[in-house]
Amino acid sequence: MKKRIVYFGVAVLMIALTGQALAGIFDELFKPQQSQSEEEAPGQEKKGLVDGLGDLFGVKKEEVDLLKKGLGVVESLQPIGEEEEITIGQAVALEAFSRFDGAYTNEALVRYVNLVGRTIADVSDRPNLHYKFAILNSLEQNAFAAPGGYIFVTIGLLKTLSNEAELAGVLAHEIAHVTQQHMLKTIRRGAILSNVSEFTMAAMKKDPEMFAGVIDEATNTLFNKGLDKELEYEADALGIEYAYRAGYNPNGLKNYLNILHSQHGKAESRFFSTHPPTKKRLRKVKKQLRNYEDGSSFPTLTTRFMASMEAS
Amino acid sequence: MKSRTARLWLLFLVWLPMMATTAYGETMYAKKSNVKVTTEKSPLSKSVATLNMGDAVEIVEKSGRHYQVKLANGDKGWVFKFKLADNKPEVKKGGSSALAVLTGESSVMAREARSGGSIRGLKETTALYAKKKHIDPVHQRAVDQMDAQLVSDKELVEFQRVGVIGEFSGGAQ
Repeated sequence: MKKRIVYFGVAVLMIALTGQALAGIFDELFKPQQSQSEEEAPGQEKKGLVDGLGDLFGVKKEEVDLLKKGLGVVESLQPIGEEEEITIGQAVALEAFSRFDGAYTNEALVRYVNLVGRTIADVSDRPNLHYKFAILNSLEQNAFAAPGGYIFVTIGLLKTLSNEAELAGVLAHEIAHVTQQHMLKTIRRGAILSNVSEFTMAAMKKDPEMFAGVIDEATNTLFNKGLDKELEYEADALGIEYAYRAGYNPNGLKNYLNILHSQHGKAESRFFSTHPPTKKRLRKVKKQLRNYEDGSSFPTLTTRFMASMEAS
Repeated sequence: MKSRTARLWLLFLVWLPMMATTAYGETMYAKKSNVKVTTEKSPLSKSVATLNMGDAVEIVEKSGRHYQVKLANGDKGWVFKFKLADNKPEVKKGGSSALAVLTGESSVMAREARSGGSIRGLKETTALYAKKKHIDPVHQRAVDQMDAQLVSDKELVEFQRVGVIGEFSGGAQ
């Protein structure tokens, strides 16, 4: 009898714990690891050393701001708004079409790339932006994202792919650049260095020289110099997460990087100069994919991809 | 002794699935507008409600890539979990994307009109830039066409259903 009471007590305790203190533990345990930056809202600025010291010594924010001014590290430029971001994106898109042999105009293939892209963008961390995807006529392997959700992939890159999961991996990497506003933050940093004090629609319209200068710098970064290496690694990590969320086999990006790596020295691609070494990217990507083993049974959609490419 | 161990194991085995399907009582928020809540774990099942961006739901059960949620009016249904966020998203006022204007997410119309006065076309600042840089009108039209690429929900759902991706992934029917 006593034993039964003990068993009953344990059962009641377990049920109570299940609903309360242990709630969500399994989910947290099995949740794929995400990069730290994903937790930060787009546009949110990290606290600097001065802010941190201010917090530590209980100094008021206003006083910390004054100190920052004195130190010359004031961030005088407000974060760039969404309307401004889209305007910059449009101008960069014009340059993309100009420099990469114009638009590849097969309507069905463009539609297909947009459907893959939208499937990923919808589960990203910035799903409310209007993402638009275009194919460039260039035979060089390239893909890039302009601010405001303008995403490009060349026909040269598409022709190296074997399935939809690889395309999803490439597009998810670019979508991550947009959700984290990588290009926009780089532009803002450049604008601060160039002493641009205002970056509103009115200011851009009033000063076309300033606007053109900003676009020149942005396109030079995007097409020639490349973004910071750390931003590329972050886009790789987030891209895998987004492709996984969208239900694609998360190995797609890794498979494309393998293709790229095998073509080093043979194929024409600015990826080799604008991105970190492919070997190093592959090493990091493979390590991250250990957290997505349940996604290895997700589809690669080879037949649908091949059919779309052959029809183009 | 053996009997007691067996009973404890039995109790543990009964307890495990309860852990996985228990009511969590946590609150999550719709990441975007037009998030479907359905009777089954499939976007093709009967609709219970459509969430707007920032709408709060209570999580009742977590099952694979779907969560069963309880709405403010007490109704229950299933949502694709990646359309929910832990924190309430900031609802932006304004913005000028074609999508925002078409879906009504923008409460303020674009501050700068597109050239030609429609929601399509280059923005005035970009049009000035194109003129200054002598960008070929063909490329200007390409950007315009890019902006005009709007995928309907119906087309997207069908694309995902056929590919077993998106809301159809991970065993959802």
